[in-house]
Amino acid sequence: MEQFLSQNAIYIVMIIVLIVWAGIFSYMLSLDKRIKKAEKELKGDKNEK
Amino acid sequence: MIWKIFLFLLLAFVSVAGIAFPIVENPSAWYQFPLIPGLEENAKIIFFHVPTAWLTVVAFFMSTLYSFKYLRKKNLDDDVKSYAAAQLGMIFCILATVTGAVWAKFAWGSYWSWDPRQTSIFALLLIYGAWFALRSSIESEEKRATLSSVYSMIAFVTVPFFIFIMPRIMTGLHPGSADDTNAGPVIDFKMNGNMQLIFFLSLIGFTILYFWMWNIGYRSILLREKLNKQLIRG
Repeated sequence: MEQFLSQNAIYIVMIIVLIVWAGIFSYMLSLDKRIKKAEKELKGDKNEK
Repeated sequence: MIWKIFLFLLLAFVSVAGIAFPIVENPSAWYQFPLIPGLEENAKIIFFHVPTAWLTVVAFFMSTLYSFKYLRKKNLDDDVKSYAAAQLGMIFCILATVTGAVWAKFAWGSYWSWDPRQTSIFALLLIYGAWFALRSSIESEEKRATLSSVYSMIAFVTVPFFIFIMPRIMTGLHPGSADDTNAGPVIDFKMNGNMQLIFFLSLIGFTILYFWMWNIGYRSILLREKLNKQLIRG
């Protein structure tokens, strides 16, 4: 496996790009959730008044 | 939630296919790409660079659409949506320029050679850069929204010309130029079925990603504005 990867370096690039994409994607997910929560809280505030 | 999983898998697949699928002279297996003379391995940029340019057009179009909506209904939320779209358009426009320049170093020999395609995207960056300058110089919310809506509508008129027409009728280095020796747009004639499929999957994936980013972008701006108004009132 290691030998194959060191001879075909493009697959290492592929793995790295996948990891980066997974990171960006999970950040987007958490951002989406955070905004949803803030929107709910803001709505709740209005109802109280 | 399902579309988010779909988006993740789609762009993961595009990354795997776009980077790792080999380019061979006579493709025989489904995972092989054809060799395009003059481009060779550099051809793989099409899966990542073209979608950024595509999103530039989509984003600027959305920005104009919401500008138009604002002018009709005078709802400030539409102005925020237009602004968020233009922000993303600018980001993707810069990404298209930079990725193109890096690619050009290895395909054409230098980062920047004032090819018609490079000149036109530079003009586009200037036009939309001025839009942000205009926005930031006006304090009144309504005045800013109205003026920038009108500017955005006029600015978008130039987009089809700069992106689709000018680089195709002029001779240049960029694939698809008028004197492209392989004749005709790269997409139709030189890619095989697999390459086209992955290219269009990439466009779809990036478009979904754009709409998600835009959604998060304008919601966060709206949230901030609502909070500001509450603070002023409270």
